[in-house]
Amino acid sequence: MGLRIQPAVIGCAIRPAITGRDRSLEEMIYDTAQLALADAGIDIDDIDGILVGSNDQFDGRSISVMMASGSVGGVDRDIMSTPSASEHAFIMGALRVATGQFRSQLIVSWSPTEVSSMSEAQRLGADPYFHRALPLDELSAHALQASALEHAVPHVRDAACAIAEKNRTHGRLAWPDPPLHPDAGPMRWPLTPTMTSAPVTGCVALVMASPDFVAERGLRDVAWIGGMGWATEPSFLGDRDLATAPALMAAAQQAYDAAGITDPSAAFDLVEATDATPYAELLAYEALSLCPRRDWMARATDGSFARGGRLPVNLSGGVLTWNPVFCTGLLRIAEIANQIRGRAGAHQIANARCGLAHAGSGFAMQYQAAVVLAREARA
Amino acid sequence: MSGDRVGIIGIGQSAFRSRRDDASYPELVREAVVLAMQDANLDFDAVQAVVYSLSPDAMVGIGNAERLGVDAVGGRNKPFLRINTGGATGISSVAAAYYHVASGMYDVVLTAGADKVGECGDSQTVLNKIWDPSYERPLPLGTINMLAMSAVRYMHCYGMTEQDMAWVTVKNRRHAALNPNAHLRKIVTVDEVMESRYISWPIKLLDCCPQSTGGAALVLASEQYIRDNQRDAVWITGVGHAAETYWMGDRMGNNPTAEHADAFALGRSFEKSYRMAGITEPARQVHVAELYAPFSNTEFHAIDAARLVARPGESVARLRDGEFELGGRIPVNASGGTLCTNAIAVTAMARVAEIALQVWGRAGEHQVQGARLGIASGNGGDHQIFGTMVIEA
Repeated sequence: MGLRIQPAVIGCAIRPAITGRDRSLEEMIYDTAQLALADAGIDIDDIDGILVGSNDQFDGRSISVMMASGSVGGVDRDIMSTPSASEHAFIMGALRVATGQFRSQLIVSWSPTEVSSMSEAQRLGADPYFHRALPLDELSAHALQASALEHAVPHVRDAACAIAEKNRTHGRLAWPDPPLHPDAGPMRWPLTPTMTSAPVTGCVALVMASPDFVAERGLRDVAWIGGMGWATEPSFLGDRDLATAPALMAAAQQAYDAAGITDPSAAFDLVEATDATPYAELLAYEALSLCPRRDWMARATDGSFARGGRLPVNLSGGVLTWNPVFCTGLLRIAEIANQIRGRAGAHQIANARCGLAHAGSGFAMQYQAAVVLAREARA
Repeated sequence: MSGDRVGIIGIGQSAFRSRRDDASYPELVREAVVLAMQDANLDFDAVQAVVYSLSPDAMVGIGNAERLGVDAVGGRNKPFLRINTGGATGISSVAAAYYHVASGMYDVVLTAGADKVGECGDSQTVLNKIWDPSYERPLPLGTINMLAMSAVRYMHCYGMTEQDMAWVTVKNRRHAALNPNAHLRKIVTVDEVMESRYISWPIKLLDCCPQSTGGAALVLASEQYIRDNQRDAVWITGVGHAAETYWMGDRMGNNPTAEHADAFALGRSFEKSYRMAGITEPARQVHVAELYAPFSNTEFHAIDAARLVARPGESVARLRDGEFELGGRIPVNASGGTLCTNAIAVTAMARVAEIALQVWGRAGEHQVQGARLGIASGNGGDHQIFGTMVIEA
């Protein structure tokens, strides 16, 4: 089934790496929300409802949405939060607009790095008896997934290295000023420092609206949600085949069905995939039906997914360039929305009419989502 | 009759207790889910998406503990996300499930969760961490002294006494004695409440909710699905949310953004729900109410905010008159309410579940005779985020 009313993204603000100590977290969130509203050409009085995505452990608060309420304009307004994933805030916002009961939604997610140990904060998210004792953090889970893929797919490491180099090259174009890929610290085999990126403080905000709001305001630079899907894998890594991504396949199928896409490999002008590691990006190619694993090596090395190639993937440089951990999923969606809206900046491509955003999060990409964004509204 | 309504077709609730040593956290969620699925007479293939209800995950000692509940709710490879609005999480999760269906995206959606507050050690230590680490956390604030300050303001504004507060406990314990799922079911007297020790003046031990363990689940479906499959249902006809300022200090003093005696945003949320449901005179149109009130004094401002009385503060006299008792004009918290059961992640979902059972005529010994339209509410954060619903037969 599709959405009853088609929402559109009308404003975005991407702040992938906030440095300096002159702004509190509340002020960073306020700044980002205001930038997104300004990008949409509206103000907070035009917003009916708010969705935030944040992580209590990273924030060091038991209910982190509370603190943000003032920063995002939540006082005397309808506000909810999805602490499962930043991309889930986007999904809930879209569902709310699709009901016809809301004309607009502000979506905000953030990810600070002030916690004394990101690894320990993540380890608290593992079950207390089995995984936590390993110890397991997200980097370890990504490494286990990479290891599983190395076992399952011959020469996948060469393809992964090529993907990492592609995304770093894209990142240098997209973000020429700040220093790239800060030191990621100790690695987990088989990952190398070039295959991951250290956590940074980041904040992302989007504004979405209903078709009648878009028409009423005469908005032109909008990205319509053509379809979206989301799904989850089980929690215990031992219950999963880490060399596959069945939840992403399910999520993609939902999105493609809603968007009427039958041949995904030919449907998109560009893709943003969650490349927590290049192995995760390769898995996404297969689960999103963009490239079967037998072709990974050939396509990763012939420039198919590079700028100027058949299907550019991660023109922003992806997570390998900036890794604001909790909001990387929403960042991927915002990047595609900006490309469709012609507002991507240095890495904008010409004539981006339909794009795909993949958001993955949790241990070895437990949560998966796919969002199709298009220049044209559905008929 | 509109063809776009969303109905509740299945309800599951634990028998809430202090501890459940026989059930792990995911098993507790599963227990409620199985009850709801049996109630709806569905198998898991019929469920298209899941909304997971979990408030501070520190209560169960696992970050993002919803991940451990994926299999318990049958969510593998299905759309699944978690909602957290603090104590309002349960009703916000039902609202999120409602939006899943009302958007046209899904026909059958499950929402479920559980909490082990009774096993967390000290919930107030966890709840202190909801405040800003630099200013209000070190006071130290907890949810009890936070709402004790509201009680003091309510006494100042409307003349409520500690004895008035005790009557709320007496009423709700009588109700809970009729509800097999309630945690605290022992009937108490006003004297017993008044003689119980102070926790944070004017709130005494028997003015406080318990720390409960248990789960809850609801199955929601589209009107089309309900008709096509000839299901019995009750209907969600009004949904609202609203928030207040985060800062406690901004609710007191000379120029508060909202008076801490009242529940300003709860009132705004009810306005939205009533407008959506076409309710113009709630005091006349509402038959039964489940209002989130974890401390006796907070039931008064919840009744005020729901406009079940003519003006703020009148709830005190009307409660004394017995209007909110079972058999009274508008029974409030016929289940015993949050004051008798508080498994935080699902407490506000239980409010919705209880109202659904009431308008369905399936509430058992605490059934309100003739109830066809009911309201439910949830309060979250530092009395900051509120959710409300109207449920009709």
